Amino acid sequence: MVKAYINGIGCISPQNTIDDNWFFESITPPAGDYFNALEPSYKDYIAPNLLRRMGRAIKMGVASANLAIKQAEIESVDAIVTGTGLGCFEDSERFLLALLNNDEQFLTPTSFIQSTHNTVGSQIALIMKCHNYNFTYVHRGFSFESCLQDAMMLFNEGKENILIGGIEEHTPNFVELNRRANKFQIVPTNTPFWESTTKGIQMGEGSTFFALSKNPNNKSLACIEGVQTLYKPKTSNDILSKLNTFLSLHNLTLNDIDVTLMGFSSDSEFDNKLQEIKPIIEKESSIAYFKHLSGEFHTASSFALWLATKLIEKQALPKSITITGNSNGSIKHVLILNQYLGINYSFTLVSKI
Amino acid sequence: MSERIYITGIGMISAIGNNVQESFLSLSQLKTGIGKINHLTTRYKDDFLAGEVKLSNTDLMDLVKDNSPDLNRNSYLAMLAAKEAVINSGIDTKDGLRTGVISSTTVAGMGKTELYYKELFEKNDHLNVLDTHDCGDSTERIADFIGNVDYVTTISTACSSAANAIMLGCRMIKNGLLDRAIVGGVDALSKFTLNGFNTLMILDKEWCKPFDENRKGLNLGEGGAYLVIEGETALNKRNGKPLAEIIGYANANDAYHQTASSPEGYGATLAIKQALDMSNLNPSEIDYINMHGTGTPNNDLSESIASKTIFGEKVPKFSSTKAFTGHTLAAAASIEAVISVLTLQNQLLFPNLNFTTPIKETGLIPETQLLHVPINTVLSNSFGFGGNCSSLIFKKI
Amino acid sequence: MDALIEKLKGQIIEQLNLAEVKPEEINPDSPLFGEGLGLDSIDALELIVLLEKHYGIKIEDPKDGKTIFQSLRTMAEYIKANGKG
Repeated sequence: MVKAYINGIGCISPQNTIDDNWFFESITPPAGDYFNALEPSYKDYIAPNLLRRMGRAIKMGVASANLAIKQAEIESVDAIVTGTGLGCFEDSERFLLALLNNDEQFLTPTSFIQSTHNTVGSQIALIMKCHNYNFTYVHRGFSFESCLQDAMMLFNEGKENILIGGIEEHTPNFVELNRRANKFQIVPTNTPFWESTTKGIQMGEGSTFFALSKNPNNKSLACIEGVQTLYKPKTSNDILSKLNTFLSLHNLTLNDIDVTLMGFSSDSEFDNKLQEIKPIIEKESSIAYFKHLSGEFHTASSFALWLATKLIEKQALPKSITITGNSNGSIKHVLILNQYLGINYSFTLVSKI
Repeated sequence: MSERIYITGIGMISAIGNNVQESFLSLSQLKTGIGKINHLTTRYKDDFLAGEVKLSNTDLMDLVKDNSPDLNRNSYLAMLAAKEAVINSGIDTKDGLRTGVISSTTVAGMGKTELYYKELFEKNDHLNVLDTHDCGDSTERIADFIGNVDYVTTISTACSSAANAIMLGCRMIKNGLLDRAIVGGVDALSKFTLNGFNTLMILDKEWCKPFDENRKGLNLGEGGAYLVIEGETALNKRNGKPLAEIIGYANANDAYHQTASSPEGYGATLAIKQALDMSNLNPSEIDYINMHGTGTPNNDLSESIASKTIFGEKVPKFSSTKAFTGHTLAAAASIEAVISVLTLQNQLLFPNLNFTTPIKETGLIPETQLLHVPINTVLSNSFGFGGNCSSLIFKKI
Repeated sequence: MDALIEKLKGQIIEQLNLAEVKPEEINPDSPLFGEGLGLDSIDALELIVLLEKHYGIKIEDPKDGKTIFQSLRTMAEYIKANGKG
């Protein structure tokens, strides 16, 4: 079966992940109501004549793509595949508000152009002069998983190098509206995130890109063995049985999984099925969580894939993400078991090479 | 990987009809759906023409028989067209085969968000638009409307979106991930898109004139169109009847400009060439091209040049059907895929309306009359912002 | 004319988000597009809106921008000849 080797990562998140050496030495709490990404000085990554038009999502996307490519030491790719739930929301909102405030007059094209969901992917293509396959997935909690799935298919079809990434940005207005709709909460630091009994997610954002190859090379950090999405499973047993089938495709059982990264979002309703599964998984594998560091967003699984790769690279499971177990020194297989809004579930299997 | 892919069902709603049959009638009678704006609330109601679906939201709600406040125009159009395609194909999603819904949209729930956005900060009445604003919403509505769907995803690559949804469906079947898929795209008209295209100054205030020397721009349209595609194995299992075969597809990027096409149509040339290579056809074996042909000065010239690069002086018979439907953005490629299937089934070439004078630089002349001619293969192009270029090739059964 | 040119410099820098450019760096006679400021077709559309918003001038055909936006001076001259504000 085709695998995807990870040779470079660029991760801009609410933590200091842009520094490739950072590994949970210091953890940044949310600055305000939500986890905003810690953004670098973009001048180091993007030419000023391009930068002047870009919204935050585009800047985060282009900069993190740049980092991934540099780390993988590649010049070109056979495909650029991006995922985003809301796209360039800042630009969409800017155009929408201008339209509403000025009664459809004196509107300028820049924010409209940038509001298109495939802007990040196409900007990267423009900068890299890449005429190859270019796709953008925009399906909620499957946006990034669809990228991964596509990459695996492209490898199966003969492609060699692929750049994929998940991007999400929020605006203060969007956060405010979510507050009004009672969709989010701030989780107090001393309460267990994974045992939430209250409604509301902790919102986050970020952009993570991966330079993938079909074959391993001396840059390879880990490999993705498979990914599967699961739409609206009825019960937690449905998820477990699909998970077992998924693992068996790779000749593995839950017992072979050293760490399971579970997508608890702090919303009791959405997390419900994962809470039911947790006791079964913890008998077989260490369990860790990540949305207390990244926040919840459509492409949070791209942050999880960064994390899975780091755990394999460092062979360590930091306390600050551990729920149960201890896998230090023996991390061969990491499973990302994510959920979004209790509707979109996914499995991603990442392994040591 | 060698699994053949068949289209077994089609569904469509747009300015030229609420279903495939009505659309076929309009096409055959050379009746455009583009006219004065009736349903969209905008200060430009009398300034621009548009290809609106001729039903109000209440009419659409009655047709889907669901009065949930969470549904919006985008979802209605998607649900109706997808359901029509499923019924047309005769598939039963409960039969244990793996069914996917792969949809595409650019505007998503914006048409409703723009109505309430400002009041959301003061009143709680319409906060549910937050749940239906994103692109994934209409896809999941289709999945739930049809039922027993194993896989969902959504693509947004501007005006080429649905071509990419069709392509992805084919690839997922060939890669053994699905047995069949409901593929296509939807976009309801919104103030957001109308104003957006207006800022780009590429809207024609009169009927659009694709491939005409005096073309001024495009007319926006709205609609949804879906195809049921099945792998040969799945089709044989249920003794289904194919309507057409998909024998080629390709996606390439122009990487020239954020919105404009390169003068030489480099990305378009790549997409057409790669789709031809995949189909094992010589350029001379293409019988008809359903062009992207938006009617903007830039697109039509660039697409004409790309066509000449590929086909030389023997450019096949071609037309843009956007003068019937308007440019329906994410739905355009699937609407044109349905039209391509109708062309192959009925051996009827639907003309390019409003054309009089060839473009000076290329001299290409589209078909301007309804033609009853043998057509075995159709090439359909779709290009979008961000340099996204996609081509599909359909073959008669 | 010079006052108008100075005013335009500020408006262009703001509208096009040219944070790196200082007003004194823009030569009123240098080309705005291609070389010089290096603007492109999207900027041309932005400038058309600038003319409408600040000077009440409506340009219907984007092709007209080519002659009007050759340089700051041609732009100022056009405003002088056609503008209301």
